[in-house]
Amino acid sequence: MTAAYSGWVIAAGIVLALIAVIMAVRDRPMGLVLLAGLALLELALLVQAGFALGGLGHVRDKATFIGYLAGTVIIPPAALWWGTAERTRWGPGVIAVAAFTVAVMTGRLLQIWNGAA
Amino acid sequence: MISNDPGVKSGPGRVLVAVYGVFALAATSRAGVQIATKFSEAPLAYLLSAFAAVVYIVLTVALARGNRGLALAACSVELAGVLIVGTLSIADSQAFPDATVWSDFGSGYGFVPLVLPVIGLFWLLRRRPAS
Repeated sequence: MTAAYSGWVIAAGIVLALIAVIMAVRDRPMGLVLLAGLALLELALLVQAGFALGGLGHVRDKATFIGYLAGTVIIPPAALWWGTAERTRWGPGVIAVAAFTVAVMTGRLLQIWNGAA
Repeated sequence: MISNDPGVKSGPGRVLVAVYGVFALAATSRAGVQIATKFSEAPLAYLLSAFAAVVYIVLTVALARGNRGLALAACSVELAGVLIVGTLSIADSQAFPDATVWSDFGSGYGFVPLVLPVIGLFWLLRRRPAS
């Protein structure tokens, strides 16, 4: 896990959350843009989880670290399932919550990672 | 008590469920780690952590299933919990050496735990159930 890569993941999460908020404000339902964005974010998170697990040896608080790691990977698919069922502006609302949460959790992951380095 | 009121989980309610889901996940993981790895350090704080986790899980499920009555009850418990634990954690910090979701009125989570039950109650009470 590197600060550079995770920094991009955090930025991607925030950008996706902003796009979702804009769509919600403009009263748009879930569309291809959010679906693709969420899929890309999930891919980036899986890669991050791979990096993180590869260097798990130097993390001191392993239980918390793995907890956050699992959360980041589980949240986007869960949000997709829950958000697409709502064909109104509130579908993107769900995606916004999920993308922002993933960004915050990645930030916490980075803190734990650096705290042990 | 209406056990399946679709109005509870649609529209803004869907976002509310998502936020509660995140908190259920966060609180459960936190309490799990605390109790599994260092329970003896602060039993009271960690038991409260677990209690908060249960409240969030019940709320997520109740809202997602449209159970207005159960959601209202859990939301009230949540508001009382964050106010009581928030006050105690400031008044008697000795008993809370390690943070729970509700410590310092949820400041570790951007005060969302304090605002959330207010929004939840507002959403659930915004209009009386039709029957």
